[in-house]
Amino acid sequence: MTEEKTPAEEPKRDASVQKREEFEKRTVFTEMFNLFSLVGFLYGALDERLSVQEGMQRQFGKPVWFYRTRLENNLLACLGGISFLFYLFQVVTGVLLLMHYRPTTAEAYRSVVDITNHVPYGWLVRGIHRWGANLMIVTVLLHMMRVFFTAAYRSPREVTWVNGVLLLVFTLAFGFSGVLLPWHQLSYWATSAGTDTLSAIPVVGEGIKYFVRGGATIGQLALTRFFAFHVVILPGLMLMFLVLHFLMIRRQGISEPL
Amino acid sequence: MAQYEDIEAYRKYGSEPFFPHHVLRQAIQFLAVFALLVLLASLAPGPMLPKADPFDAPANVKPDWYFLSAYQFLRLTEKLSFLGQWVPRVLGVLVQGLGAMAVWFLPFWDRNPERHPSKRPLAIRVGIGITFFLLAMTLWGHFS
Repeated sequence: MTEEKTPAEEPKRDASVQKREEFEKRTVFTEMFNLFSLVGFLYGALDERLSVQEGMQRQFGKPVWFYRTRLENNLLACLGGISFLFYLFQVVTGVLLLMHYRPTTAEAYRSVVDITNHVPYGWLVRGIHRWGANLMIVTVLLHMMRVFFTAAYRSPREVTWVNGVLLLVFTLAFGFSGVLLPWHQLSYWATSAGTDTLSAIPVVGEGIKYFVRGGATIGQLALTRFFAFHVVILPGLMLMFLVLHFLMIRRQGISEPL
Repeated sequence: MAQYEDIEAYRKYGSEPFFPHHVLRQAIQFLAVFALLVLLASLAPGPMLPKADPFDAPANVKPDWYFLSAYQFLRLTEKLSFLGQWVPRVLGVLVQGLGAMAVWFLPFWDRNPERHPSKRPLAIRVGIGITFFLLAMTLWGHFS
């Protein structure tokens, strides 16, 4: 047995020794700086512990399937991604609207008028939020139809479908809770009629209706409740399930062509 | 670079790196969607309706278009209540609820291994039927 090393192994060991020596040469100051800076995140102390760079390279370099068949061309495969783009637009414009909106029965309508007429580009932000909401529901429904008609929900992607239907429910809940917030005639009476249909559910219907409205009729409590639901609870829930949806797609790839 | 799983499948169907190729496509979509939204928001801004008045109910209140089919179906079943008080609740709520449940857990009971639409005619027909039914209900609700 000789202790010969293959030529390929030699420079590799050298590099790791060199890296270690460089690490030991650092001062406490550079170490601290690297730990708490972006440099540390990608090249410095943090990256040595968490290997962020390697993970990012893996994710960014990992291929995405694409193929064009007559039935399933790129436009149909885009629908889910476009729905996500709409979600992003809704988040950004929603945060901008949140800066000026006042969620009380006395002030809500006034603040929406102010956003539309006085806040710079407020009309545009509100318009994008309104149009984006409607178009998002359209693209989510079309995406669901695409997945159904091409049977992309089959094993091993059952959980992605179940997750996706939940995302549709969240999208509709976004629409339902968002309509009340401007506090105009249509929003008040549409929400009134909408929550009224909840009482058609056997046994628990009346209780659910009372809980959603925060009382017998729609008032300040309902507005506060819908507001909290629309701007805090739903976006967080939706983001959680969106991440799951994307992780599963990234792991399994999109379904094979027909 | 790291090794990827399913490298054979990637070779068979064709693939592109996530960055920058796929991200570039997404960026183009992003700009197109942004342009569309700005165009729509500029050309067709939302109406500014009068402020909510709890004592003045408008004549014809309807939910938004995405709830209109369910709403119209519920109203349709209410017209059948001469058959008995249970009809609206059982047909309108239970059928819609069970339908939603069936769609939710679709992959667990649809066990047909075929995927091409021509090889699963029943599922395609049912799907098209439901789509047209919901469209018809929405249109009926809109114009009634």
